[in-house]
Amino acid sequence: MRKYFAVLLVAALSVLIFAASDKVLVMAIETEPVGFDPTLVTAFASHRVLENVYDGLLKYDENMNLVPNLAKDFEVVDPYTIVFEIREGVKFHNGETLTVEDVLFTFERIRDPEVKAPAASYYGEVESIRSFEGNRVEFKLKIPMASSLLPNFAGVNSSILSKSFVQSGANLQLVTNGTGPFYVEEFVAGNYISLKKNSDYFVEGLPHLDGIKMMIMPEEVTRVSALRNGDVDLAKIGEPLSLNQLSTDRFKIFRTPVLSYYLLGFNTTRGALSKPEVRNALNYAINRQMIVKAVAFDEATVTGPLNPELDFWAIQPDQFDEYTYNPEKARRLLTDAGYPNGFEFEIVAAQRYNFDKVAQVIQAQLAEVGVTAKINIVEWGIFISKWRESDFDSFISMNSGSIDPDIQFNRTFRTGGSTNVFLYSNTEVDELLDSGRSESDLNSRRLIYEELQKKLVEDSPMIFLYSANTIFASNDSVEGFRSLANESLIFLRETSKK
Amino acid sequence: MIFVVILVTLFPGVFAQYDPYKMNMDAFMNRPTGSYWFGGDQFGRDVFSRSMYGIQKSVIIASSAIAISALIGTMLGLLSGYLSGLTDLIIMRIMDSFFAFPSLILALFIIALFGSSMTNLIFAIGLVYVPIFARTVRGATLSLRDSLYVKASKALGKKEISIMLRDILPNISSVLIVTFTTNVSTALLTEASLGFLGLGVPPPEPTLGGMVGQGTSYLLSAPWIVLFPGLMIAIIVLSLNILGDGLRDVLDPRINR
Amino acid sequence: MEFGYVFRRLLSAVPTVLLVTFMVFIAIHIVPGDVVDIMLGTQNYLTESQIEELYSEYGLDKPLIVQYGIWVKNLFTFNLGTSLRTGRPVTELIRERFPITLELAILSLSFALLFGIPMGIVSATKRNGFLDNFVRVIGLIGLSSPSFWVGAILIVLFSGAFQDFNLFGYVRPGVDLLSNLQVMFLPSLTMGLMVAAQILRITRTSMLDVLNQDYVRTAKAKGVSTRNVILKHSLRNALIPVVTLSGIQLGYLLGGTIVIENMFALPGMGRLLLQVVNERDYPVVQGIVLFIGILIVLLNIVVDIIYTLIDPRVELR
Repeated sequence: MRKYFAVLLVAALSVLIFAASDKVLVMAIETEPVGFDPTLVTAFASHRVLENVYDGLLKYDENMNLVPNLAKDFEVVDPYTIVFEIREGVKFHNGETLTVEDVLFTFERIRDPEVKAPAASYYGEVESIRSFEGNRVEFKLKIPMASSLLPNFAGVNSSILSKSFVQSGANLQLVTNGTGPFYVEEFVAGNYISLKKNSDYFVEGLPHLDGIKMMIMPEEVTRVSALRNGDVDLAKIGEPLSLNQLSTDRFKIFRTPVLSYYLLGFNTTRGALSKPEVRNALNYAINRQMIVKAVAFDEATVTGPLNPELDFWAIQPDQFDEYTYNPEKARRLLTDAGYPNGFEFEIVAAQRYNFDKVAQVIQAQLAEVGVTAKINIVEWGIFISKWRESDFDSFISMNSGSIDPDIQFNRTFRTGGSTNVFLYSNTEVDELLDSGRSESDLNSRRLIYEELQKKLVEDSPMIFLYSANTIFASNDSVEGFRSLANESLIFLRETSKK
Repeated sequence: MIFVVILVTLFPGVFAQYDPYKMNMDAFMNRPTGSYWFGGDQFGRDVFSRSMYGIQKSVIIASSAIAISALIGTMLGLLSGYLSGLTDLIIMRIMDSFFAFPSLILALFIIALFGSSMTNLIFAIGLVYVPIFARTVRGATLSLRDSLYVKASKALGKKEISIMLRDILPNISSVLIVTFTTNVSTALLTEASLGFLGLGVPPPEPTLGGMVGQGTSYLLSAPWIVLFPGLMIAIIVLSLNILGDGLRDVLDPRINR
Repeated sequence: MEFGYVFRRLLSAVPTVLLVTFMVFIAIHIVPGDVVDIMLGTQNYLTESQIEELYSEYGLDKPLIVQYGIWVKNLFTFNLGTSLRTGRPVTELIRERFPITLELAILSLSFALLFGIPMGIVSATKRNGFLDNFVRVIGLIGLSSPSFWVGAILIVLFSGAFQDFNLFGYVRPGVDLLSNLQVMFLPSLTMGLMVAAQILRITRTSMLDVLNQDYVRTAKAKGVSTRNVILKHSLRNALIPVVTLSGIQLGYLLGGTIVIENMFALPGMGRLLLQVVNERDYPVVQGIVLFIGILIVLLNIVVDIIYTLIDPRVELR
């Protein structure tokens, strides 16, 4: 028995010593990447890996401002024109140097309809892309929406690829060749992804870590237990209550409000829900604060059509009458709309991201004003199928948000928009969307979007609920970690381990 | 112990103190206390009350499911064992293929296809256990087929169906009863697993498996949400198993204990 | 002699396995939501014509029967297709993930045998004593508890208790055997407990059977010590049913690892199946179901053969 312990001790010690010499951050994530092609993939976990392996022309800083990345400088020359000056001396992981050709090739690939890139629709109004001397690339647009286009250049789906690498026939879903601070050393499906430091990264002194090992642990219990047991250094926390298990003298907690938001969406062509007055009335019956407490344990903020943190654009939630919980008013409005005894409808939800929990709370709240909501929990694939075909009375879901109102609203509320599953059609809204896009004067733009926000809350094709905080927890050895409002982990390059 | 279970199944209201659906924020994630015996769950609902109703739901689901299995399975088994030949071959092939199917997957498909409601769940689980009944009944039928009184009935010109129902069925009833009770407990566990994976009866209905599944995320902070429903499952299955064991001892004369 | 039997069994199993794969195929295609839906999620960034192109690329635009036929045809060249989501060959995925499930099943069975057999023997020999009843109750509890519940309890108990112990984060045995065993400890214990209960009961029953036999009583009358009676005479015979039960349990274990693999973050095949069913990754679903089907058939054949080898009274049909 003693001999066994001795062996165990030696093994444990040697593992510890070995691990100490190499600064590798072990982190637990919830889902796994589905492919590594930046132009094609949308999976959350894929993006978390790719944003550290590839670079875009721009990136976000810690305050969500757009700053230069692969583009040394950028300028909105006029509302129709953006010019980027491409950095020199940047190397891809395979040693080749980044040139303007690679930038041009990347956007050609993105816009190629055969490729079916997610970002393609964002560049739909681009008329031409050309390079000119001084390592510059110019984007010319058909409509004056230059400033609305900028955030897209910081997206993973617009990461710059190596032309020669792609043309060599490599399968980008399986192998990577980026310019980022890390490269993918190993991906063992279902188990982990191993990232290693790119010593030729173009930013001096970064990254601090020698490597990152992302362990895939789908269950919350596993991640928290692994963190407590010292098996991982950093873990994504899905349930705020788990924090009770992580005392602050041993662990660091990182909370970040995010841009993505929960919503109750309506099929605006069905029954009682086809009346804007009815949808508007439901706002008063919903106690958003209570949802935040019950589902997110206060780790969330109530949100309006735009995230309240965007103080330039957003109308704050308390400015809307509809955001005050007022069941009597709800009843009154429903009676005025012709439903004195309430009505019945169905909420479609899935058991993911707490959709079902939100539905349950809303169901209970609506019951108080005589509205009977039946919850239909379906499997994820069926949920997506119903969502796309607008086969629902209403549904609970989550949309990703943006710092730019056009990106936030355009596809979702325009008549026939690709994510307008509410079948919502309002010409005033369409006009506001069009003018908002093309307006170059910042203050005029602001006024347009203010009007749009008011209209959206008045009509309520969807009821905006809340934005949850993203929570990470780490042990004491982790320094310099942060996550951004768009849930990006690009600051892993500035993270270090003691 | 089984009697307590039966009582709770029939009259959960007697045991449950609170409305299992009402969310009471005061009870939010409470440790078990005097008024909330099993504590409060993530929505402030009383875990004890929900467990009581959950027991009712789970027992109903499991028993109904096995009842269906017994019905269909016995029919198929009788036909297969008595008629033999091609009927036997076809039926047994299909039964075999169900056997090779991981039961969880089968139920998963049916639920995913037809939606998760209590009836669909009962149907799905019921279908999974049909082969067991079919096989057992077939075996018993085979051994009885060549017995004297069956031959006598045949000679008397009785119709096949009559023979199957009047002569064979009563004699295999002991085997049926034992198979029934032993499989109800397994069916309960299957329902619990499905509920755990999110494929059982949807919330806010309280089912034991669902409660464990939905409470696992809070396992470390509020273990009672998972602990008690799970314990309930174990107790029910336990009592059913004891019942089954007892019945088998009594009904099966071959075992000398 | 026996090869004929095996061959016949295998042959007759073919239609069964095919039937299973056919049923699964139909089921997963009928369920609403397909692989393209999952891919697009709630972002919906493709036009209708692009979506149709995708269906064509994946071969999903052909009638179901034709698609199934193509899949069967490919089986003859041992081609199980490639994953629609990741582009990797299905055979590769199975080869990667199955050993983990197998390891889990074997370790669980080992735990079960380790606990179950001695407890069963003790229980049988000290029949109706306090120990017997105690052990029987434990056995029944193990039998009755849902595995995920036991797993959850174990996690709560062990969480934070052993800092040097590598509890989570799967490591392959080839890379670090010690870590691998540490990581597999809790999950195999969880699954093993359920099976241990079964083993315990069967051992006990069969030991009791054997102990009552005449030749045992004779040996005792001759003065052979109880211990020797157990070890030399009864054990071997008593273990026969245990062996067959183990074979059956292995089959159950292999099929029932989904929940445990998810909970303990083990990259096994059970978890993969759940994942690809959710993602509607049709080729992978078909491949795994086929694999499991064949496995179970083979397992049944082996168990039947062993059974006849041990017990000459039973004939192979």
